Amino acid sequence: MSEKYVTLAHGAGGKQTSELIDQVFKAHFSNPNLTADDAAVLSVEKGKIAFTTDGFIVSPYEFAGGNIGKLSICGTVNDLSCMGAKPLYLSCAFVIEEGFPMEKLEEIAAAMEKTAKEAGVEICAGDTKVAGKGQVDSVFITTTGIGKVMENANTSGKLARPGDAVIVTGDIGRHGCTILLARDEFGIEADVTSDCAPLWNNVKAMFDVTDDIHVIRDATRGGVGTVLYEIAGQSGVGISLESEKIPVADEVRGVCGMLGLEPLYLACEGRLVVFAPKEKAQDIVNALRACKYSENAAIIGEVTEENAGKVIMKTEIGSQTLLPQPGGELLPRIC
Amino acid sequence: MDSINNAKEIISSYNRTDGKKLRIMEVCGTHTHEIFRLGIRKLLPESVELISGPGCPVCVTPVGFIDEAVMLALDKGATVCTFGDLIRVPGTEQSLAGARSKGAKLKTVYSPLDAVTYAEERPEEQVVFLAVGFETTTPSACLAVKKAKAANLKNFSVLGANKTMPNAYKALKNSADAFLYPGHVNAITGTKLCEDMTKQGVSGVVAGFTAAELLTALAVTIELSQKGEPFFRNCYTRVVKPEGNPAALKLMDKVMTPCDSEWRGLGVIPMSGMVLKDEYADFDARKKFGLPKITGKPNPACRCGDVLQGKCKPCDCKVFGKGCTPMHPIGACMVSNEGACSAYYQYGLEG
Repeated sequence: MSEKYVTLAHGAGGKQTSELIDQVFKAHFSNPNLTADDAAVLSVEKGKIAFTTDGFIVSPYEFAGGNIGKLSICGTVNDLSCMGAKPLYLSCAFVIEEGFPMEKLEEIAAAMEKTAKEAGVEICAGDTKVAGKGQVDSVFITTTGIGKVMENANTSGKLARPGDAVIVTGDIGRHGCTILLARDEFGIEADVTSDCAPLWNNVKAMFDVTDDIHVIRDATRGGVGTVLYEIAGQSGVGISLESEKIPVADEVRGVCGMLGLEPLYLACEGRLVVFAPKEKAQDIVNALRACKYSENAAIIGEVTEENAGKVIMKTEIGSQTLLPQPGGELLPRIC
Repeated sequence: MDSINNAKEIISSYNRTDGKKLRIMEVCGTHTHEIFRLGIRKLLPESVELISGPGCPVCVTPVGFIDEAVMLALDKGATVCTFGDLIRVPGTEQSLAGARSKGAKLKTVYSPLDAVTYAEERPEEQVVFLAVGFETTTPSACLAVKKAKAANLKNFSVLGANKTMPNAYKALKNSADAFLYPGHVNAITGTKLCEDMTKQGVSGVVAGFTAAELLTALAVTIELSQKGEPFFRNCYTRVVKPEGNPAALKLMDKVMTPCDSEWRGLGVIPMSGMVLKDEYADFDARKKFGLPKITGKPNPACRCGDVLQGKCKPCDCKVFGKGCTPMHPIGACMVSNEGACSAYYQYGLEG
């Protein structure tokens, strides 16, 4: 690319647009299904399809452990995976701020390529728009994905049942903590990296253990605590957690302590919350621990008939409390 | 785990036959939060009552202070730098968040020094830092002012509402039988002030913040209370030294001087605040901008004042959980995570 920055001309549909697409996006996303036409035409096996879309506007757009490109692939791949669907095809739409460095766009595209390869998905269609300076913040990406639902999979937030164990696939809150620190508003430095990761292989490994998995959800915005409240509500059950069993990295716990934040409400981008019958739970955890990205998987609690719609925490001193419902902004504590 | 179990044993075996309760007031917002998070109230016997006192800086900041900050931001065009929670505290007419939607410029900071840096980088803006808090945060506000003076900054000032604890204990002595003293405050002030207060009939124990430290402090309070005499004990010796933090005390003494101070719900407590000394008057936003005397009018339905004195529980207030929630707070105690009302609301009746 001769130019160093994205200009409005790159989004005007003419020669520069073609150049941008050819030299940045096609160069990285190359695969037989990537279309130059108005829509990609794809073959899909018989059966059920999972279909989802997600927009990404993270600030800052690069952070320890990834960038917005990696995030945009992981987010949609993980949403599909949560339905027991093998991710197959993605589309991606960029809205880029005028003046965005071309070099950074290259890095984002390269991260998308790498992550898509790892997740086994093809990027088949895309769109690029350039917005005037100040109309967007750096770069926004929307990805849409199709996955093939495995025949033995039937997961939904409505299917949690008393007697289910609650599993998380790793230590929680890394992504949210990383982003907070990357914004550099608190003058705190800590060695925290985002958990951002594509998790299809982890889901597949769980289904290799058993078909009997009731709920899988990725704990993104709002974190694990928000997901648990959603599921308690959707399934009409109570959830009982044991605080000492919830995996949290020391550095994340340290930052949360300083800022008065609860790790359960910090976003994850590579962690799943899984509900499955207790008797299968340990085998599932063992299978997860053998996979990359879920080495710290743990059973953190169980589903109960009582306390429907609520999440109860058994605390480290042998008492119990309600886990406060999430809400409001994440604000640092002042003393 | 042993110290936790020992403390639990002492706490649960406390039994009183005179029908009265041992009232223990925690005077630190972080203690309030941890007590709820750990579910400590559930472990207490009937005859022990925990009261959440005025230890959250946001909760005790009076309505008039918010009105002053709003006036600075909207009428005087100043950029207001503040700790996050203060943004949502209701003033007489509006909160700072409300003022922001009308164009007020706010900046959330984590340290007063960030506000100085912000002012240095933007000489065209008048920057006002909202200095609230107790002896824990006041030294950093003093440092910020000292630094601004050294740099001869003409666009930085503070709107002060700094408070000191000892006289508040005396004002509250009829509300509780003993205080759990805030370990972070004593880490600065040392222990002498609290020790001396036993002569005036004020009892208390300095408490740390881990589960073991909090339970131990409660157990010690229960044991000492049975001797029938005013008592003091430092149960946070790993952090709190008798002499406190001399450097921080010296800094405060250099930059600020004690003054009467208004506490939300408690009224004016003599010599319970800190104000900039005359030599730093150029950095006092009230003087710099010629602010008029403002008397804030709290919402009459709000009982934060009674809550802060332990005269009622949050759920006894008519607007609690109805008109007043963490998303739409009417009183300051519902704003901060460390406020008693917010804790009661968020932890349901499980508290």
